[in-house]
Amino acid sequence: MAPERLLVVNNVVKIFGGFRALDGISLDVSAGEIVGLVGPNGSGKTTCMNIISGLYRPDGGDILFKGKSVRGKSMHVLSKSGINRTFQTPKPFKGLTVRQNVEVVHRRADRKASVDDPLEFVGLSHLSDREAAALTSGQQKLLDLARALTAGPDLLLVDELAAGLSPVELDTIAERLIEISRRGVALLIVEHLLGFVNQLTQRVIVMNAGKEIFEGDLASAAQNQRVVEVYLGQ
Amino acid sequence: MGLGLSFIFGVMKIVNLAHGDFIMLGAFGAYLGESIWRINPFVTLIIEFIVFLLIGLPLYYGLIPRLLKSRDPEMLSLILFFGLSQIIEAIGTMAFGNNPETIDPSVIGGQPLVIAGQDFPFVWIAGVVVSLVCMVGIYLYLYHTRLGIATRAIMGNREEAQSSGINVHRVSALAFGIGLGLAAIAGVLTPFMLGAIYPTMGVDLTITAFAIIVIGSLGNPLGTILGGIIYGLSMMLMETYLPSWSSMIPYVLLILILLVRPSGLLGRRTRNA
Repeated sequence: MAPERLLVVNNVVKIFGGFRALDGISLDVSAGEIVGLVGPNGSGKTTCMNIISGLYRPDGGDILFKGKSVRGKSMHVLSKSGINRTFQTPKPFKGLTVRQNVEVVHRRADRKASVDDPLEFVGLSHLSDREAAALTSGQQKLLDLARALTAGPDLLLVDELAAGLSPVELDTIAERLIEISRRGVALLIVEHLLGFVNQLTQRVIVMNAGKEIFEGDLASAAQNQRVVEVYLGQ
Repeated sequence: MGLGLSFIFGVMKIVNLAHGDFIMLGAFGAYLGESIWRINPFVTLIIEFIVFLLIGLPLYYGLIPRLLKSRDPEMLSLILFFGLSQIIEAIGTMAFGNNPETIDPSVIGGQPLVIAGQDFPFVWIAGVVVSLVCMVGIYLYLYHTRLGIATRAIMGNREEAQSSGINVHRVSALAFGIGLGLAAIAGVLTPFMLGAIYPTMGVDLTITAFAIIVIGSLGNPLGTILGGIIYGLSMMLMETYLPSWSSMIPYVLLILILLVRPSGLLGRRTRNA
């Protein structure tokens, strides 16, 4: 039996002014699956994440989550429904400590688990009393991940988490993401570091100019003429 | 006077140029309450806070979400609220006329207080106490309530707050209502602190409130306290030694602080790469 499709993005279009940032993109992610969304700069990866998470409203197409359309729903509603995300450039809540940053989500999610669990999971528990704005950019990304996990996601959208992390941190975070998917959470990962994506998954969707140009395993993508042209400009 | 303006800016990053006009409406509310129904100003204060808070909710939903979707909400907020200020001023003039109105200061009651050999009118002491109660109230709201912590999260980053499951419009609408409620409280005390009230006084009050919050740091409640003290002391000194120049004080302070420390005395220095 085929795995249940948690997220289905169907022919989604997003236009900024006259620019078609997304030009009929379609993709799907199943529960517990890790899918990589890759492509050159400006290909529409982050716009796609912003549409799925509710930050932008699509101009066309539909998005189904758990079988129901969530098109145009606002981000806080989707967050409560189980779609949570990290940001390419995380901006922790200024004036709040690391722990309070997580507590904001924890209070709203009304979870029985401890606030310390997600901090422990991402390796930030020793910094819980530090002001979040004082963290390094890598640590701020981990805090962003901890906050997203606190909300109890069924689908976690991870936007360029690896950028700015050290090789040791990268290995640790890859292990953590795999652990998250083993708990049944689906992950859609936008990433430029293909080696990092390779550690996590074999199924990637390659985008260019707002469209999907390839779907399959990373090794096949590297052999695909169209993908090579897009990346190397040949 | 500046607390409501600072609070709204801190949460929504918009400048409510009609803030002074809401203070004016609050002042006329106190005038009507006293002259028609003989309501004690301290009771009016509570009634007006609730009424203005409730007015703020539909006003927020009618104006702000659309404004925040624009590319430059801060700039457009100046235009929008300038327009709102003009509308309120025109309605105020039609309703109350151009003649200044006053309230008999004795209705507020109390005896002058003697501190260090100086007489301080009771209304001044009342003003200080009301301001302190408002500030403590805002502190307790922001730091010890669930909605307040959500408000601080929105102050930190609106998008991240939304992605954390916070209904930013609901929380911001309440903050907007509280900001207007605080303007109304300042308005009730205005006839007793400044004397005459008139429908066109809103612009001057907005400039004064704006100067106070810029001195301290936009959006920082502690900065508002500091700005208020500096503004008050400067005003007293000018009225004592150079009374004919005293009305320049808000403008001079505003220009000085923007030249010397644009982020305000309690603001963080920022650097552009």
